[in-house]
Amino acid sequence: MTTVTEAGPAAPAGPAHPLDQRRPLGDRSFQILALACGLLVLVILVLIAVSTSQQASSWFTTEGWGIFKNNWNPAANTYGALAFIYGTAITAIIALIMAVPVSVGIALLLTEVVPYRWSRPIVYVVDLLAVVPSVVWGLWGILVFAPWLNTIYAHIGSAVTGIWVLGPLFGPPTSGASFFTCGIILAFMITPIVTSLSREVIATVPAIDKEGAYALGATRLEMIRGAVWPHSQGGVVGAVLLGMGRAMGETIAAALVIGSSPAITSHLFAPGYNMPAVIANEFGEAFGLQRAALMGIGVLLFVITIIVNVIARGVVERSARRKRGT
Amino acid sequence: MAAVTGQQNVDLREPKGWRRTSNRIVTVLMVLAFVLVIIPLGFVLVTVVAKGISIISVTFLTSQIPPNVAPADVGGIWPAILGTLEIVGLATLMAVPLGILGAIYLNEYGGRGPLGVLIGFMSDVMTGVPSIIMGLFIFSIWVLHFGYSGFAGALALGCLMLPIVIRSTYEMLRLVPNSLREGSYALGATKARVTLTVVLPAAIGGIVSGALLAVARAAGETAPLIFTILGGLTLATNPNVFSGATTALPLLIFSNASSPYVGAQARGWGAALTLIVICFVLMIAARLVTARFARYSR
Amino acid sequence: MQLGRRQQVLTAGAAFVAMALSLAACSSSSSSSSTTTPSTSASSSSSAAALSGTLDGSGSTFQTTFQEAAISAFKSVQPGMTVVYGSGGSGKGRSDLASNVVQYAGSDSPIPSSEASTFKGTVLYFPVVIGPITVSYNLSGLSKPLNLDPKTIAEIFEAKITTWNNAAIAADNPGVTLPSTTITIARRSDSSGTTQNFTKFLVEGAGSAWTLGSASTVNWPAASRGGNGNGGVASIVKSTPGAIGYVDYADAKASGLTFANVKNSSGNYVAPSPASATAAADSVTAAANLTFSAIWASGAQAYPITYQSWVLCYETQSSTNVAAMLKAYIGYLLGPGQQLLPSLGYAPLPSSLDSMATSQLSKIGM
Repeated sequence: MTTVTEAGPAAPAGPAHPLDQRRPLGDRSFQILALACGLLVLVILVLIAVSTSQQASSWFTTEGWGIFKNNWNPAANTYGALAFIYGTAITAIIALIMAVPVSVGIALLLTEVVPYRWSRPIVYVVDLLAVVPSVVWGLWGILVFAPWLNTIYAHIGSAVTGIWVLGPLFGPPTSGASFFTCGIILAFMITPIVTSLSREVIATVPAIDKEGAYALGATRLEMIRGAVWPHSQGGVVGAVLLGMGRAMGETIAAALVIGSSPAITSHLFAPGYNMPAVIANEFGEAFGLQRAALMGIGVLLFVITIIVNVIARGVVERSARRKRGT
Repeated sequence: MAAVTGQQNVDLREPKGWRRTSNRIVTVLMVLAFVLVIIPLGFVLVTVVAKGISIISVTFLTSQIPPNVAPADVGGIWPAILGTLEIVGLATLMAVPLGILGAIYLNEYGGRGPLGVLIGFMSDVMTGVPSIIMGLFIFSIWVLHFGYSGFAGALALGCLMLPIVIRSTYEMLRLVPNSLREGSYALGATKARVTLTVVLPAAIGGIVSGALLAVARAAGETAPLIFTILGGLTLATNPNVFSGATTALPLLIFSNASSPYVGAQARGWGAALTLIVICFVLMIAARLVTARFARYSR
Repeated sequence: MQLGRRQQVLTAGAAFVAMALSLAACSSSSSSSSTTTPSTSASSSSSAAALSGTLDGSGSTFQTTFQEAAISAFKSVQPGMTVVYGSGGSGKGRSDLASNVVQYAGSDSPIPSSEASTFKGTVLYFPVVIGPITVSYNLSGLSKPLNLDPKTIAEIFEAKITTWNNAAIAADNPGVTLPSTTITIARRSDSSGTTQNFTKFLVEGAGSAWTLGSASTVNWPAASRGGNGNGGVASIVKSTPGAIGYVDYADAKASGLTFANVKNSSGNYVAPSPASATAAADSVTAAANLTFSAIWASGAQAYPITYQSWVLCYETQSSTNVAAMLKAYIGYLLGPGQQLLPSLGYAPLPSSLDSMATSQLSKIGM
């Protein structure tokens, strides 16, 4: 006979306890802790929005819709911020156009092309790019890079004067410190973060998909298009949004290399201004309405970031839905 | 029975024509992308090293900050190094755990619910807030009540780091296969235990690298510090990070580089080189730690 | 006992943190590394009680060089006190003082009326420095500095005069052959009290020729180049042939720039120097609260672009120690500190202003 006590066959186990009711205190409190940390983001953002809007309120009430005029002039006490909104948009677009292909390219290089042994040094090099502080980018930009670019801009500018689309875009006036230079420096700064995140995302595409594509005779490009991209596009877009946020919010480097000249012009090589740069440059001496205007520019930047994020997510959702076939 | 009727000639060579060309072009472009990154990096590093290396010495790294007019061989940058290490360290201690927990909420608990979507969306928006606004925010919330301090600077930098840590951790957690979680649940583990002991270690490599990027960003930021730590220490050090004005390397670099005095400029570039070295050492150390401790390596 | 992996990481982290903290503690206790400080020629006169504590200040960047030198010299007078001056701009200094996060502020201009309500008590003005703003330029082949009058300067900085051999410049400099180099305008990209005072000079001296107004930053012509801080403008002027910019005297001297002689209200072309700045300040009558403007001052030898900076603090202090520290430090700035000024490129206060300011010190109290 058995010495092991066995449970009786099919004895009713009693009323079923939903796991929730018996969840240990530690589990529940961990969930609450995680929720609290998630809410922290909302709390901080709401506090930022409230405190900056409060300090900016006099600008909104004094200027009304005039905040979108292009008439920023502290000497005349008028503060229309259109030139800065334009500058932020232009520099962010230039930065993204240059950084995203490069970053995704490097990420693909690391995961698909380069053997594992070589990928470590390449990763360290990209990390080095992240390690340079923004103030050093700005100083190098204005002391070394901008003067060198100035001669290049001058050559290009004189070459394309008068040509149909290129003239207004790249023609004179040209200056080392300009929208384009700022865009390039921002591109350097956002590359590491977009590369690193894209690489992590792309690296987890299941090997089966990739091998299947190769087995069907695909070239590497076709494999990337067919197996890697659909799997990782959401993550890459998330990485790009992170980079774009950085490009729009970068303060000191932009303040040093953008040229500090509030102007709306199609000439990309001309000096310009953007939102974080004007706040950084003018806040120290500002008071009264000017200070409220600078805070208001910060509020405007929130709103713009929100709008752009909504659009980007909408686009991703739509394409993902289309791929899923719903 | 093998059906070997007229064996087709299978062409095992590379696909011809446009497919091959486009493949080659793309490979070249990818290598070009990497080269495009090396060039400016090389220039920046060469500039900083050329301008900064001559002033670096043990005395330089451990002496007080002299007035700007002092020549290059007088004084050093110790208070700024101490300030950076303390402030960035404190900011990391605050932002990284909170960020990881926030991402855990987003990925494990919040998911597709409205609150989860909102929090994820808002943390992306937060990455776009100019760093100077973070500084002004902490100024109005904290400094006005408790005065300038290294802690206020750490708060500002922590706010800057938080959305980056959340977003990168979230992406990493999302990629951990569900089979891991399901297996653990099947063994009777609670959600908290699964998350902490199975999911997090699986994603730790990506999480640490994302946290590192956030730390590197925070260490190099100037604007939030202007409004929270005051700077301006001459011949004084403030080791107490919780009270009293202090200074940090990025602030020193910024104010010295626009000074016309040769000594101040040299000290500024020496500080820039020091900051880059510190950040790089931290990055290498953390990558080594991940390589040693990550359970899932590629 | 074999530590699990997690325990290993935690122990390593704890050890690292402990090391870092002990390193910090060690070096702060051994932070007595001395640096050569400029020795003050005047000995501290009174047998002042040894004070201890911290004084925080922020504000005008014009004062920064002076404040740093004074702080390091003051250490030998009151070794127990720590004084910190965080610059950041006159507007920031005033608003920091209004919110009470600093005990004293540096400002290049008096508190504007719109800001006055933010201050919670009477504010005392202590003028501490005077200094010239130079009009520096980079032009080779000239044997002596150029003469410029305010109207010409205004037209240059508005880009109405674009080459050096323009008739207006030649009229101020008869007999000098001017090259045909294009003029590059160098100006501040950040807002500053220097711009404010320079444009004030143009408003008062050039009249209708200057249309851009006066503020801490103005809408400079698009072709102008912006530099960060006085040092930034100085380096643009230094590296660009044909450039002209406004740089304060201390920084222009440190960068080795050539400055123009500017025509003052009496019609004389005066070179910027501590002496001509003091001459400008001499002719100024200060208000009862010691505010004044030295721009476009009268006086045959006065340099017309001279400006001034004050240290501000509240009249009523909340603690006797802070009041005593303020009196000691500001008293030093007005007393032995003034001797530091000429070598730094500032001008000392005229003695009448200095004595008025020193007698105002007694007002700081509870």
